[in-house]
Amino acid sequence: MMRLLVAALVAAVLFSPASAQTPTSLVIQVPTEPPGLDLTSNPSSAIAAVVFDNVQEGLIKIDRTGKMVPWLAERWYTSDNKSYTFFLRKGVRFSNGREMKAADVKFALDRAVNPETKHPYRVQYEAIQDVIVKDDYTVTVALKKIDATFLYTMARQGSVIYPREAVDTLKSQPIGTGPFTVSEWVRGDRIVLLKNKDYWVKGLPKLDRVVFRFIPDPNSTLAAIKSGDIDVSAFGIGPESVDDLKKDARLQVIVGDTTNDVTLSMNNSKKPYSDKRVRLAITHAINKDEVLKGAMFGYGKILGSNVDPTNPFFVDVSKRVGYDPALAKKLLAEAGYPNGFDAVFKVAPQYYYTVRSAEVVASQLAKVGIRATIQQIEWGQWLSQVFCLAPCQTPDYDMSIIGHAEAWDIGNFANPKYYFRWDSPAFQKLYQDSQVTVDDKTRRALYVKMQEMLADEAPAVWLYMHPRLVITKKGVTGMWKDQPAPVLDLSEVAWQK
Amino acid sequence: MAALAATLFFVSLLVFVVVRVLPGDPALIILGLEANPDSVARVRQELGLDRPIPVQYARWVTRALGGDLGRSIQYDVPVGTLILSRLTVTLPLTLLAAGFMIAAAIPLGVFAATHHRRWGDYLTMTLSQLGVAVPGFWAGLLLILLFSVQLGWVQAGGFDGWGQGVWPGVRSLLLPAIALGLFQFAVLARTTRSALLEVLREEYVKTARAKGLAEWIVLFRHALQNALIPIVTVAGVQLGQLLAGSIILESVFYLPGLGRLTLAAISARDLPVVQGVVVFVASMIVTVNAAVDILYGVLDPRIRYG
Repeated sequence: MMRLLVAALVAAVLFSPASAQTPTSLVIQVPTEPPGLDLTSNPSSAIAAVVFDNVQEGLIKIDRTGKMVPWLAERWYTSDNKSYTFFLRKGVRFSNGREMKAADVKFALDRAVNPETKHPYRVQYEAIQDVIVKDDYTVTVALKKIDATFLYTMARQGSVIYPREAVDTLKSQPIGTGPFTVSEWVRGDRIVLLKNKDYWVKGLPKLDRVVFRFIPDPNSTLAAIKSGDIDVSAFGIGPESVDDLKKDARLQVIVGDTTNDVTLSMNNSKKPYSDKRVRLAITHAINKDEVLKGAMFGYGKILGSNVDPTNPFFVDVSKRVGYDPALAKKLLAEAGYPNGFDAVFKVAPQYYYTVRSAEVVASQLAKVGIRATIQQIEWGQWLSQVFCLAPCQTPDYDMSIIGHAEAWDIGNFANPKYYFRWDSPAFQKLYQDSQVTVDDKTRRALYVKMQEMLADEAPAVWLYMHPRLVITKKGVTGMWKDQPAPVLDLSEVAWQK
Repeated sequence: MAALAATLFFVSLLVFVVVRVLPGDPALIILGLEANPDSVARVRQELGLDRPIPVQYARWVTRALGGDLGRSIQYDVPVGTLILSRLTVTLPLTLLAAGFMIAAAIPLGVFAATHHRRWGDYLTMTLSQLGVAVPGFWAGLLLILLFSVQLGWVQAGGFDGWGQGVWPGVRSLLLPAIALGLFQFAVLARTTRSALLEVLREEYVKTARAKGLAEWIVLFRHALQNALIPIVTVAGVQLGQLLAGSIILESVFYLPGLGRLTLAAISARDLPVVQGVVVFVASMIVTVNAAVDILYGVLDPRIRYG
């Protein structure tokens, strides 16, 4: 038996493939397998990671700094903010060989608006009244009313342009104008993208082949990056491993910003959280620096409201309701809870940071008399009990913690049916105003007001921005440092020569 | 056959009801935080979840009898196809683990029994004690650390398919098979040792030795053959446990097998896949048990089934 084992091990050494990757191919780990590849049918960020900006692109792109840049449309024009004319780039071909024309843009946008197609983001396209093809390269979008987020919507993952004739294969074989094409999807294991040789941006992409490998377990990911099986770990390695990985000369660690706001939610429709004094007391009782150290080893950034530093309208309001346990106790007494109260934290351990953060927060709340117990529930239960969509009528929770990764999602607080159940007509008015204000300065002022109001009213506690932690082999260049949109753009990634 | 059919019926009924009473709406899980009431209702209707459970079960059984296990919610491919494709990883993995388990456990068990209360026995028992005590996933991580991270001999995980040949496929399954088989190896080694010790004390063994037969003939032809019944019984049960163990180890080694499919399907509430896989695995285990029963008759002709 021993001989057999030794022989097997010797053979393993002899027949090992060379560990170095060819310099034009990249193996990248992602934790979650996408549920289909159709950006227009499912809002999953796992689909966006593979398809968005890699396989399919929109008229406008959000670049690595978070700026909106002309993309499939080389420019656009509006005189009244109610009608936008896009001038398409000429000679841009889909990966099936056909040139992209204005009719394709009309088809994609009409489909997003049409309730029959059940586009997951239909509400974002509600303002569109008509899409008019002027000629092959000019298309006008007429809006019912001014929509300040319209251009941003055109840059979202749901606004990608695809050929009409390939609409039925979006789920398994999406076709687009992007730098890569989908070559193979081995369910449960990997998706392979190949270079789009006719890509319209000259010199891109720099890689010939990208393999997305689905590895959900952080320990397995760590082993895979250390053994050289994967070249990049895109998500999933926890902050606890970062200091160790930084010491490894074969690897580089990229720490950046994201739009993922880790939020402590409170059920505003339920006593005692319906009382603003209690919510402020909870906010004053939490030392966010300690939470960041305890749960995230210091990686990430403290937040004061729903708007994170990647947003151009961000202002730091984290000091408005700062750490002050004495004041927290005073507020609790004023609200009629001099001895505190019992509370339950419902968190889903599927997202590691939720449990860790809840543990630190619970110990801090205990110091002001709030006796919070942590209840770990499975993600499916969390969605039913805490997130509570129809047929669920009333959310069943006191407090919870989860990261909200969508950019520009401040509107959730203007929606009284969202699981925070915060119903503030004043805030809703501010938000509605911001939606119809296109002047940048005025809109910014409204956003500043909204951030201040969120901090002062404390419908939730915004703990920290989850950091972007990407680990790559030395020599991998061109990865985005920050993640201003839910995208994993690999077009400029290359191996250093 | 009747017993097999009844077992499968109860298993399918049980798993059908259990996955449906689990809290957590599949539609919500599919749509995530961006879901809205409209899209949830649409997905529920698409999945047939708006119908009563008995109706859903009757539909499923009728189709399953015709060989159609339904379509995966996650992948939108037939469950049968999915199971077959994943079986190309899990079956070789289980067989490799079983091979490792039997090839290591029986010789070691025999060695321990023939060296009863001597250093060889103690060493073997210490080894098997370790095997029982160390959880498979942890052993897996240690193996990865040594053979992949430190020595770089084999990959840390993943499976590139059989397309590149048999050896690359087997190589990527070696570490997981050892980790998977470790616990079962330890149990089987202990079973072999105690079964053989018992038989070695029998009068007919003494007689065989008294006849002057060579020790290896006494050991393998007279003693081991009679000790095989409990060993085969345990090994049969263990085959089923190896299949179950693959759920954890396929995640550690990120192998695209049945175990990982099951785990992902449970988290995603991919009900057709969960049902299909559980019924399929149950039928495999029932078949293995039936094979073990038949093997009894071969090993000991006194055992016959009417």
